[in-house]
Amino acid sequence: MPRTILLLALLCAAPASAAEPLHARVDALIGAKAKGDGVTLSAPASDAEFVRRAYLDFAGRIPTAAEAKAFFDDSSKEKRAKLIDALLAAPGYAERWADAFNVMLMERLGDHAEWTKFLRDSFAKNAKWDEMARAMLRADHKDTDRAGAAFWLVKRLENYGQNPVDYSALTRDVGRLFLGKNFQCCECHDHLTVDDYKQQHFQSLHAFFKNTYLPSANKLIVGEKPTLDKTAFASVFTKVQMLTAPALPGGAMLEIPKLAKGMEFAELPDKKTGAPGVLKFSPLKEVSERLPTKANADFARNGANRLWFLLLGRGLVHPLDLHHSGNPASHPELLDLLAREFAQHSFDIKFLLREIALSGTYQRSSVLPAGTKEAPHAKYFAVALERRLSAEQLLQSVIVATGADAKAADVLRPKFVKAFANQPREPEDEVQPSLRAALFVLHDPAVLGLLEAKPGALVSRAAALSDAEATDALYLALLCRAPSATERAAVAKVLAKHADKRAEALGRVAWALLASMEFGVNH
Amino acid sequence: MLCTPGEHRVTRRKFLGASAGAVGLGALANPAVADELKKQRRQVLFVWLDGGMSQLESWDPKPNTPFGGPFRSIQTSVPGVRVSELLPQCAKQMHRLALVRSVSTQDNSHSAGVDRIQRGDPKNRGVTYPYFGSAVAKLVGAGDSGLPPYVWVKPMSGGFIYKHAGFLGPKFGALALGDGKPPENLLRPKDLSAEADDERNELRKLLDKEYAANRRPELTEANTHAFEMAAQLQKKIELFDLSKLPQKDQDRYGSHDLGRHLLLARRLLEAGVTFVKVTSYGWDTHGDHFNGAASLHPKFDKPFAAILEDLADRGMLDNVLVIACAEFGRTPRINGHIGRDHWPEAWSVAMAGRGIKRGVVAGRTNDTGTDVATDPVDIGGLFHTWFRALGVNPEEVQYRNAGQPLPIAHDDMKPVSEVLA
Repeated sequence: MPRTILLLALLCAAPASAAEPLHARVDALIGAKAKGDGVTLSAPASDAEFVRRAYLDFAGRIPTAAEAKAFFDDSSKEKRAKLIDALLAAPGYAERWADAFNVMLMERLGDHAEWTKFLRDSFAKNAKWDEMARAMLRADHKDTDRAGAAFWLVKRLENYGQNPVDYSALTRDVGRLFLGKNFQCCECHDHLTVDDYKQQHFQSLHAFFKNTYLPSANKLIVGEKPTLDKTAFASVFTKVQMLTAPALPGGAMLEIPKLAKGMEFAELPDKKTGAPGVLKFSPLKEVSERLPTKANADFARNGANRLWFLLLGRGLVHPLDLHHSGNPASHPELLDLLAREFAQHSFDIKFLLREIALSGTYQRSSVLPAGTKEAPHAKYFAVALERRLSAEQLLQSVIVATGADAKAADVLRPKFVKAFANQPREPEDEVQPSLRAALFVLHDPAVLGLLEAKPGALVSRAAALSDAEATDALYLALLCRAPSATERAAVAKVLAKHADKRAEALGRVAWALLASMEFGVNH
Repeated sequence: MLCTPGEHRVTRRKFLGASAGAVGLGALANPAVADELKKQRRQVLFVWLDGGMSQLESWDPKPNTPFGGPFRSIQTSVPGVRVSELLPQCAKQMHRLALVRSVSTQDNSHSAGVDRIQRGDPKNRGVTYPYFGSAVAKLVGAGDSGLPPYVWVKPMSGGFIYKHAGFLGPKFGALALGDGKPPENLLRPKDLSAEADDERNELRKLLDKEYAANRRPELTEANTHAFEMAAQLQKKIELFDLSKLPQKDQDRYGSHDLGRHLLLARRLLEAGVTFVKVTSYGWDTHGDHFNGAASLHPKFDKPFAAILEDLADRGMLDNVLVIACAEFGRTPRINGHIGRDHWPEAWSVAMAGRGIKRGVVAGRTNDTGTDVATDPVDIGGLFHTWFRALGVNPEEVQYRNAGQPLPIAHDDMKPVSEVLA
């Protein structure tokens, strides 16, 4: 029976008969697998869960109390779709997705104003993923509108302390982040545990980047020395000498043109100005034109899988950078469908995000189905997974909730990054409560200062209300919901005890909400 | 290049709340249980002399030989065992110590050496192995202290040093106490009373309980663990205030960095921290070595002897494995700047305490100290020795990394059985 459903879903997915919108087909495939394996899906998210989730995902912050209330009060049937479309069209969308892509693509290696601008501009005008990837891999210093794109390569071509440039890590990151394949273990031999990953894949990908360099420190310019010969390599096991020209993993090798000495450049490098020149045969140009294309299935699948991960908390292929036949997608047809639609829509990120967000799968509650003893495996997407909030999402949410002015954000940002971001090169792909973050929330004056009574601040506004109203106001501002009976009673007890110092007591209540697990994740 | 932790990442959540802290806080309320737990503690004090202490001016003196240098050797509390006159206090503790004088390792540079020695140089399996501290944190656990299992006392800056954990994942990284100071934000602000703090935390816990009641529990458990550790560490704030200790203690250890840091280490071990690493920098004496050693070695000698004595007095040497180590020794040949350079081929490591024989010397170097004269002991062999001393048998215990079994110590090497009790 499930097989038939899958088959039907597949048939429906064919472009000619794609009567159903993509989000409905997503739900059909997720539902079919859950049903086949006897897994119960949780109920749809409540309005409170949904509005918080949607704002965090598409505005990069929780909703204001007014925004949440407006959503609750809207009785129209299509209000969720309406909210998604409104948020996708608002300026916060570009900021949120610039942040999401910065965290994913730079993995806290560093920041640069031009890079941020490149990402924000790209999302603001809905630049397509292939176009963004091309700009990053090409790092064309003459493309001044997108100068910041070069930062992706530049940061990876820096010396790290006294260590030489880590070209292997650069190659690894191209594979991981653009193709979903981590070839790191294949530098010196075929992968020991992943049959699909060969040393040839690493070396041929590496050949695109091995002659890149930074002509000058502190400039977003990538230089390229001429590539004249194939790369020689040998497995540490077989010691057999091999040669490779630049090639996409598993793809055809490029022809390296024979150029006479001194004739490699169409435009010579200029040592005085630091201009790196223009090569007649540029592997960077080649890779930027070949890798981010519809013809490259890895590129489409990785892109679709990572966008799915960003909204659902787990990749269809998981870990995100281990696409191979021994680690198939949890829902192979679904990944095929998303990758195909993504490519057919010219890698339109906003299109795919919208379709995923419209699905019942995205709009599921994180509360376990009634009567469930044990949560179903995350791979079913049967219950919404709690997702990590980036340091920026936490910061913006705290600012919005406490009523701090936007200027405060600039002072707080480095502190939030230090407290909540991972170390460089550690992907931020799961919720990781830490002692460092706990101590920050517990004691840092910057956090505590936000919860003090001062004009316009949340606590001061609440202090003007009755105990019950104040409690409601704090819960709505911080958790986008009303308190439970138990919570209301506990808060009432605290407030009754400190009637003489009410503002301070309200500050402590607000702190408890802010320090709670519920505030700290996208659930 | 090695594979990243991310590649072979274990599910960190599994460990959170599970291995560490599970014995936990409740048990401590019962004194009998607490005493029993203390007896079962398995702990490590790892003293790291960064840059490399000269074996010739410490554990393996060769006076009156071409490379012996100007210092004499002296008798120790163990007849027939002599050490450099620069370690007079340690000499009196020799009956508690075991020396391996035939250490012979591979890396001649600091950058490679520190990593290689502290990771135990396992065979390359394409993963980044944990530092010894992270390994012990994982294999022995956090015990009953409620404190992080791996604490690193060091000069200069502190923080949370995840990289030490390698493929074990950040949970097993080091909590570094820069200049022995507590981690950032440890202290409750003065204007927040203990009562108010409890009140807000009770509310927070109630919220988390409500939240977790009908959701997957793992994340909330991990979050609770982080807050509990913060609370435990705060309660131990007096650990960091050495000024309250008897003046006699402060004098015996000395007021210099390594003295104060070893005294803090003693306090951390008493509080039950599983692994305490104390680092001292500045041992890389390429020039004016002998004046350098005359100044440096007493700074190690005095507090190291003091902590051995104190651990013995407190009955803690049965639980605490003590190691004094570096990334290599120093060259017998004296260079043109009257210095000794890096020498991994023949150097010494001192150890004591849990699982270690007392008052013994294993291995020896040749008459001029240029090479080992017995079977060379590489760091992998020392890891085997240390794990066994801690009651962890590398023949039986393995790491599991994303399903892949990995040996905890170099599989071609063997422990130094002469020093194992």
